[in-house]
Amino acid sequence: MTRHDFLIKWGVYTLALLLVWVLEVYVLARFPLFGIRPVLLPLAAAAVAVLEGASGGAGFGLGIGLLSCAVYPDANGGFVLLFALSGLAAGLLAQYVLRQDFLGCLLCSALSLAALDAVRILSRFFLREEALDALLCLAGREIGISLLFTPLVYLLFLWVFRRVPKRTHF
Amino acid sequence: MKDFLRNNGVLILIIAVLLSLIVAVSSALLGGFADPFSNLLGVLTTPIRSGINSVVTWAEDRYTAMFRQSELEAEYEQLKKDYAQLEQTLREAQQAIEENERYRNLLGLKEARPELEFTEATVTATVTAVGATNWDSTLTISQGSSAGLEVNQAVIDEYGNLVGLIDEVGANWARVMTVIDSDLELGGLVARTDSTALLEGNFELMAQGKLRLSYLPENSEFMTGDQVLTSGLSGLYPAGLVVGYIEEVRTDPSGMTRYAVVTPEADLQNLRQVFVITNFAATQ
Repeated sequence: MTRHDFLIKWGVYTLALLLVWVLEVYVLARFPLFGIRPVLLPLAAAAVAVLEGASGGAGFGLGIGLLSCAVYPDANGGFVLLFALSGLAAGLLAQYVLRQDFLGCLLCSALSLAALDAVRILSRFFLREEALDALLCLAGREIGISLLFTPLVYLLFLWVFRRVPKRTHF
Repeated sequence: MKDFLRNNGVLILIIAVLLSLIVAVSSALLGGFADPFSNLLGVLTTPIRSGINSVVTWAEDRYTAMFRQSELEAEYEQLKKDYAQLEQTLREAQQAIEENERYRNLLGLKEARPELEFTEATVTATVTAVGATNWDSTLTISQGSSAGLEVNQAVIDEYGNLVGLIDEVGANWARVMTVIDSDLELGGLVARTDSTALLEGNFELMAQGKLRLSYLPENSEFMTGDQVLTSGLSGLYPAGLVVGYIEEVRTDPSGMTRYAVVTPEADLQNLRQVFVITNFAATQ
């Protein structure tokens, strides 16, 4: 892959991510499903990681982490590392344990969402002493509702993936 | 894993750690002001937020106009009657205010106690985005530090009901923590009994759009419908802003203390314009 191809490919991935971000923050946030706002950024991290592998997943996760710091009110610097590690883990899982297909993406998305919600639950449980059952209930509903959007997010990034050469060098 | 290490993966993780530290440290140092990255993104996306907000609002309005015409007409007629009644009430209230003012002038109270003067300066701000997560209750508004907004300033709706407090400020945007956010804590006052207590967000109640009034005095009785105001005792926020109404009084799981569930008066789901109180004289 030439440098030009590389830049085009990741540029289009970034545009696709912006589309997902707008959908999550400005559209779905206004029309919650069953009272829950779907969370799409972890799905995007998992989708790219499954398609591109560990390196690409970690790099893209890093970018999503930075974006999440600006988007999510409760995000802090730790989210950058969290999303980078989620991308890395999803990439490794898809490369060596699962398959680089939709089912692999679905599982990795669930794990990414679970990791994100685990951080939120732990911080609220230990720092604010909120009720654990309420936190777990919300996390479960959020993961379930968000996973409904996995096909949409996966197909979007799969479309980008198939439009450019497959080999990626960081 | 070898591929990952060979393909500069370690470098990515080091960059991730460094960026985490930069964002965390800058957030801590800026104390409520947005970190540079968040601020830049907020500045750049404010016009986009406004644009998307306009489109979505326009679509909602068209949908409403198409499918709820007859229902809206009935509502409109009812509202006209309510409006006439409210106008009458307002005229009576205005007379009472003027009468009160005359009494105060007569007593020379204003001259003797100038600190009782209560002034508010407001900044008009348009709500451009609702909260993006299920874990907080926030709003983004279209005014920021350039309009004089600061962290912890009170935000009200057009009826003077408390919407929330400013949590983070950017150059031309600010994030408002609403009254039901689980991080919120401020002094409350039950108007009927004149009892003070602590208004605080609660995670379980947040999902129902409510908050709690904790540390209720033991010797006071509260009723459903009691109005809850800001106490203003801390001096950080103005006193007398309407927060909501007591829905019910519950006993803590420990059985030792009571708390009240408060329904906010501000319609947090349908806010389009809010006002920020940028200055006030503390009451005593």
